Amino acid sequence: MTAATTIELPYGMTSFSDGKPDEKALVIAAQRGLSEAFAQLVRLHQRRAYAVCRAIVLTHEDAEDAVQEGFLHAFKALDRFLPDQPFGAWLYRIMANASLDLVRRRKVRDADELPEAIPMPFRDPGESDELRRRLNLALTKLTDRQRSVIVLHDVEGFTHGEIGEMLGIPEGTARSDLHHARASLRKILKDVRSDL
Amino acid sequence: MTDFRFFSTDDDEVVRGLRSLYAAPAGDAYWNELESRIMARVADVELGWWTELDRWVRPALLAAAALLLTAGIAMFRAHQDESDLAVESMLASPSVPVSTAVRPALESDREARIRYLFGCNNQEPSCSAQNSKR
Repeated sequence: MTAATTIELPYGMTSFSDGKPDEKALVIAAQRGLSEAFAQLVRLHQRRAYAVCRAIVLTHEDAEDAVQEGFLHAFKALDRFLPDQPFGAWLYRIMANASLDLVRRRKVRDADELPEAIPMPFRDPGESDELRRRLNLALTKLTDRQRSVIVLHDVEGFTHGEIGEMLGIPEGTARSDLHHARASLRKILKDVRSDL
Repeated sequence: MTDFRFFSTDDDEVVRGLRSLYAAPAGDAYWNELESRIMARVADVELGWWTELDRWVRPALLAAAALLLTAGIAMFRAHQDESDLAVESMLASPSVPVSTAVRPALESDREARIRYLFGCNNQEPSCSAQNSKR
């Protein structure tokens, strides 16, 4: 990675403080048109941004598209962002919106040919296909929102409040979605086990 | 055989399974490539026609302002010339007395009309008095 790369920021700003990139300085530099500063922000946030998108959309390819769309939206809206606010929270909201838009578009497009199961996510060659298949089967029984909430919470570690903000739902709804998603997965996996 | 340990009802097992399913691609090469794609799209936005347009907005506004100013001055001058010409022509033309502008024939018509309106007859003395007053 190029996280250790120091970039020259205008107006006497430093890009690093205590060995970590100074996000605020990068945001201000990006707002002033320095594309390398925006590239640095992309480098810093793209993994987490991907994770947010991947939790909402169905496939790895869609997650990639949503990440690109999200960064593009963020770039266009950068002038309106207040540098004192946490950039990550703002960016992940944009990512979630880009993902939700993509899901909506896909639903309209595929209205007549709904997939029978959630498509495989990004494939790690080291993973067991069997494990993936059964968990996928269990995930198809959840609603889109429940699936997003459980992944954002249990996999990515977002709080209920953050998830609520990202998905545009009250915190309590995120909490109850998580509860129902866990209960459903537990039950489904238990049923599958008893069938074997 | 199947790994039955996965089908534990323990939430940790579910979380572990989910993490394996939703694992982000590993390897810097993937992320560098994604970053390149994102920045290429950002560059497209930067070099889009609206950016080009944006660059021309200021000169275009200045040119439009100069054009408006020139047109305004030209119109003002044309109007002034027209006024000057009108004043000059007014001053130059000979003054014509109003009485001579009336045709003599109309004079008698007018009198006849007045007489008709007031119902007068030339023979009546009251009418003659009125006429003489006029």
